[in-house]
Amino acid sequence: MASSKKETSKRTFEQSLARLEKIVDSLEQGEVPLENAIELYEEGIELSKECMETLSKAELKIKKLSKDLSGKIELADFE
Amino acid sequence: MAEEKNILSVTEITRRIKGVLEMGFSEVWVQGEISNCKNHSSGHLYFTLKDAGASLSAVMWRSRVAQLLFRPNDGMKVIVRGNITVYEPRGNYQIDCLQIQPVGIGELQLAFDRLKQKLSAEGLFDEAQKKPLPEYPQKIGIVTSPTGAAIQDMLNILARRFPALEVIVAPVKVQGIGAAEEIAEAIQDLNSFSDIDVIIVGRGGGSLEDLWAFNEEIVARAIYSSRIPTVSAVGHEIDFSISDFVADLRAPTPSAAAELVVRDRNDVIDILRHFSYTIQNSVVNMLRSSKEKVQGLVGSYSFNKPLDLFRQRSQRVDEVERRLHQIVGQRLTMDRQRAQSFTKRIQSLDPELALKRGYTIVYRNQKIVPSVAQLSAKEHITVIFRDGEAESLVESVKKA
Repeated sequence: MASSKKETSKRTFEQSLARLEKIVDSLEQGEVPLENAIELYEEGIELSKECMETLSKAELKIKKLSKDLSGKIELADFE
Repeated sequence: MAEEKNILSVTEITRRIKGVLEMGFSEVWVQGEISNCKNHSSGHLYFTLKDAGASLSAVMWRSRVAQLLFRPNDGMKVIVRGNITVYEPRGNYQIDCLQIQPVGIGELQLAFDRLKQKLSAEGLFDEAQKKPLPEYPQKIGIVTSPTGAAIQDMLNILARRFPALEVIVAPVKVQGIGAAEEIAEAIQDLNSFSDIDVIIVGRGGGSLEDLWAFNEEIVARAIYSSRIPTVSAVGHEIDFSISDFVADLRAPTPSAAAELVVRDRNDVIDILRHFSYTIQNSVVNMLRSSKEKVQGLVGSYSFNKPLDLFRQRSQRVDEVERRLHQIVGQRLTMDRQRAQSFTKRIQSLDPELALKRGYTIVYRNQKIVPSVAQLSAKEHITVIFRDGEAESLVESVKKA
């Protein structure tokens, strides 16, 4: 359980949502065997919780692009 | 002596003419038509300005040519601002152009139209080239002035709508000399990040001149070359810039760009809720229908056939058993009846009954004498009555 959570949180929000959408589709079409359906259900609920958390907890991270004298790009805090 | 004073060398007279002309005709505005226009390899521009009655040589030095927003062509009516200068080696005078403006149509508009036409012909605006914007970007690059209202507006909107984001601001000058180059370079710099999902290039409102950097070819090409999808957000709703046409998406304002690149978090939450609900519903339905299927099977004829056969058999067993009971019962009844009739018959044989009816029984030596023939005269017998016995002596025997 813990490892699967780690795996899913590695995904980007878009990937999580895409996976969730796929789960919804396959469950909606009802072509999955029941055992798989329950697994998918659990995964889907987990994903949706994660996405919700991302949305409700996140804060905008702002960086500023700058270059050093040699022209190397660096990121600095904005303002 | 007077003659000596009046004699000037060519150089001297030319210098005096130069002095008079250059002092007397500095910063003049001249209107005419361009002819003999030559772009010299040195980068300087030479042409003749003429009208019906006269012609005037004109030159524009390379540094100023670079700032021209349109390309002067023969036949073009222009207003030139410049200084009259004299080219001493040839004794020519010419106008040294500081600025050239097309007459009638505005200079900037002309430049805009020219570049638009050129880039359009090259296919930079083709719809087929436009990259789709990611639905849920994680990292957004913004090329704009770090101090304007535009950046604050964009950051505020992003933070409000979809804060699960990283924003990389590439601070640039958005107007004035060098602005276009800075913007183009910033777009390239952001493209060196592999994980930026979308770039917003823009600035807040201003005059056509203020917005000009976004009409520069270098910016257009940088946007076109951007691997990352770009949104152009320049000025107000009514302002169209070249960058708008090249970008993958035009936003009417910087604020609108921020709204276009991310979805509203609440909408996404609604979608997520809907997803959870659908998932839950589908699984519940699936469980229910599976249950119904099982129940259907249990109730089906085929599934029940063995049971049915069993029931038929057991019914037959029951029936046989019932018949057996019936037969046995009948038999028992018959036997009982027979037994009863025997009993009656037996009872009828009971000597007591005969005695009661008034008959007597004759015993001799404790044995019943059933026939008179067994008796002889003078024998002692015992006669049994219902209520006692009498010892008797046979007088005589007489057979019937």
